[in-house]
Amino acid sequence: MVVEAAVRAGADYADARMGTDETESLTVRNQEMEGIDRSTSTGVGVRVLVRGRWGFAATSRLDEAEVERTAELAVEIARAASRQPGVPVELSPVEPVVASWRGTMGEDPFTVPLEEKVALLMEATRRMQTVKGVTFAEGGLDLFRRSTWFASSDGAAIDQVVVHSGGGIEATAVGDGEVQRRSYPNSFRGHVKAAGWEHIRTLGLIEEAERTGREAVELLSAPECPSEVTTLVLDSGQVELQVHESIGHPIELDRVLGMEEAYAGSSFLKPEDRGSLRYASPLVSITADATLPGGLGSFGYDDEGVPAQRVPIIEDGIFQNFLTSRETAAAVGQTSNGTSRADGWSHLPLIRMTNISIEPREGSLAEIIGDTKDGVFMATNQSWSIDDKRINFQFGCEIAWRIKDGKLTQLYRNPNYTGITPEFWGSCDAVGGREEWTLWGTPNCGKGQPGQVGRVGHGTSPARFRGVQIGVR
Amino acid sequence: MPGLIGADGFAKVASAALDLSGVDGVEVLSIHEWGGITRFANSEIHQSTFREDTALRVRVVSRGRTGVASSNDFSERGARQAARSAKEMADVAAPDPLFPGLAPKADIPSVDRFFAATADATPASRADSVAALIGRCPEGFVAAGAFETAAVELGLANTEGLSCWSPSSMASLTTVMTGGEHGSGFAETFAGSADEIDAPAIGRRAADKAVASQRPVALDPGTYPVVLEPAAVATLAGFLAYVGFGGRAYLEDRSCFSGKQGAQVAAPSISMWDDATDPRTLGAPFDFEGVPRQRVQLIEDGVFLDAVYDMRTAKQAGRTSTGHGLPSPNPEGPFPLNLFMAEGESTVEEMIGVTDRGLLVTRFHYSNIVNPVESSITGMTRDGTFLIEHGEVVGPVMNFRFTQSILDALSNVSLVGNQAELASEFFFSASRVPALKVEAFHFSGRSDH
Repeated sequence: MVVEAAVRAGADYADARMGTDETESLTVRNQEMEGIDRSTSTGVGVRVLVRGRWGFAATSRLDEAEVERTAELAVEIARAASRQPGVPVELSPVEPVVASWRGTMGEDPFTVPLEEKVALLMEATRRMQTVKGVTFAEGGLDLFRRSTWFASSDGAAIDQVVVHSGGGIEATAVGDGEVQRRSYPNSFRGHVKAAGWEHIRTLGLIEEAERTGREAVELLSAPECPSEVTTLVLDSGQVELQVHESIGHPIELDRVLGMEEAYAGSSFLKPEDRGSLRYASPLVSITADATLPGGLGSFGYDDEGVPAQRVPIIEDGIFQNFLTSRETAAAVGQTSNGTSRADGWSHLPLIRMTNISIEPREGSLAEIIGDTKDGVFMATNQSWSIDDKRINFQFGCEIAWRIKDGKLTQLYRNPNYTGITPEFWGSCDAVGGREEWTLWGTPNCGKGQPGQVGRVGHGTSPARFRGVQIGVR
Repeated sequence: MPGLIGADGFAKVASAALDLSGVDGVEVLSIHEWGGITRFANSEIHQSTFREDTALRVRVVSRGRTGVASSNDFSERGARQAARSAKEMADVAAPDPLFPGLAPKADIPSVDRFFAATADATPASRADSVAALIGRCPEGFVAAGAFETAAVELGLANTEGLSCWSPSSMASLTTVMTGGEHGSGFAETFAGSADEIDAPAIGRRAADKAVASQRPVALDPGTYPVVLEPAAVATLAGFLAYVGFGGRAYLEDRSCFSGKQGAQVAAPSISMWDDATDPRTLGAPFDFEGVPRQRVQLIEDGVFLDAVYDMRTAKQAGRTSTGHGLPSPNPEGPFPLNLFMAEGESTVEEMIGVTDRGLLVTRFHYSNIVNPVESSITGMTRDGTFLIEHGEVVGPVMNFRFTQSILDALSNVSLVGNQAELASEFFFSASRVPALKVEAFHFSGRSDH
């Protein structure tokens, strides 16, 4: 109906997404309920091209008159855009399909009794609190379901449902003017996957609670991470952040073409870098794979109706492909590799990472550390900052240990490191094997104006880098 | 355009949730927001959008336990359904010993922040302003940015008899112009009314910066005196709020101000406060619990005086809320959304004039926390970083990474600008802050552009 209304109003092309997002979130702190909430949001967004200019309008009011008015407004917006001259948008072709797609899920997490969820977090925080010196013990669960119906004036009609489940714990120790935190299995509310409650059962939140608490307390009395240039080993969780910020974002073709210049920034990459730029050492291969089961960046079709794809991004260190949409792919003479996604019904689709993963090589984390004579091992992301072209970065971790003759020795607090993207990845001389490879979820990737939150995935193994500046102060 | 729902319209829907039986209390927060944004890049309008949504957030209290349910089904049926869902959550929640109750009835100060012409701004009017800005873009450069006009109606009612409602509007125009030989310049204006947006003037400011910042040279990282323009100071203010001014972190010894009440934490020329009732800022005069937002003097003459509180942290501290609560559930605690820094007497030109060798910074980019209790953050300079020598700007330099304690920087302030501006930070709400001259600011690294 809304697509037809847009065409009637003058759209040369129109697509629409009607969707419902459902969330459930629980937070327990020191065995007290910090928050327990559910949300539901439903609406429709319509995107149109009129004489090569985009317009988009969205509303939560779904009566017929309002939907028609919204479609007409999208056309009015597109017409207004032509008040400033510009090159008309062209779209790379896509075969319109009629399809249904459902993401991977075992046990529906929304039907698991609230009592079971609360009990899990209560016990995990109780166990952390048994460790003397833990000031705050927190646990959280986050459940998400997005149902989307997509239709286009080309004849596509696609409905999709994804379910994401995540959970994590965090211990904080406070003392002598110092605050130290340890998280498990990852920071910022844990490990989120495209999965059901069965994923939560595998996390081991209760089993790992005491160790997490102990490490937070031990950090309080640990020395500061020294400032030096050394060999750096990162755990899989920190490699996730490293891939996200210094590979995932720079390869977005809209950034490369200047479309995000004024806000999040652009990229050091240029369109002509495909196939020739040495981005990393020959050990590093990166893949964008929206077909990966369990990834937050997995789907059947993107929000332009383009099928999910597996795309090589870096092969043996050489940059191969950008992430593209129909508009940006056409601008560089390609077809879309299907990465255009919106933060729900109320936003315009943008290029978003799918599952941007480092391909595993060989060896366990223990073997990488065992093979390191002198260096530092850092684990679990704590903070991140990178420049507007994704070149100069500085990332902080929760915890670090000195590596001496292949063994972990001195514990360090407040570790961080800095680098220049291609130099850093060029120094990579070890990537862990399949047994260490974890598919992580990043459910809070910000981009665009108005701000959109993207849900993306990263499969990563631990890795080692040579000659890195650590301990920046 | 959608138009206001109005206090009566909000109250009618809220009453369906407030009627929930068998509970101790109900609170309904309603947020109706709409607006358009015209984004441009490469001197073309490339993304232009409009969205409208109305959300209900119902908090139910039952035997000292609370549950929250949200929905954008803004109807009496939707409100009743959200209330039932929130009760289901409350029934399984553990009691919260610090639950302070729902906010009592209160006199809410009246603010006039709704400009109908801004709320109803058309895509054509935004496009014309963008075209006027792009018209100031120099030959060989391109403009990117966004012109946003938006409105929000906030309503809050609870079973204690509280009922408040406030509409407000907002307009912002931001641009980055790039081109020439690696030039980049930035300018922006935030305001409650689109009438205050002077698109050609914003374009001229960014153009001047972009032209002047061409051919940047590499300078060694190190500690330099800096002149920070208001957009850069807004980053310091926003992160200081995040790591310091919230009552929860303060009470839990996680704040950079914990244990420092009455202590000198900044130069005597630095005073900061939060005041939602000041006509020069944006937003509603009550917080997300329905408590009137109070003016809180945070730092006066460099001395830390107080943090901000919501009802829960106020109960913990044995005092009353200052009206800085965020929507429930809120593990982060209270937050100041309307920060001010006191103006001084210097112009930016005067600050440059008394700098023997230092840097002029237009703004920072993608900053983040290094150590919260030390108020230490890191980030990059962006869109206009210049070397000052012998009292004059002598040329642009490549962007630096800074790693710096905010309180150390504020302790080293020698001059304060005489003109505060409402300036944004990537993550936080806009603060009204002046330029600052800081005698020692640590740059720990450098980029290649």
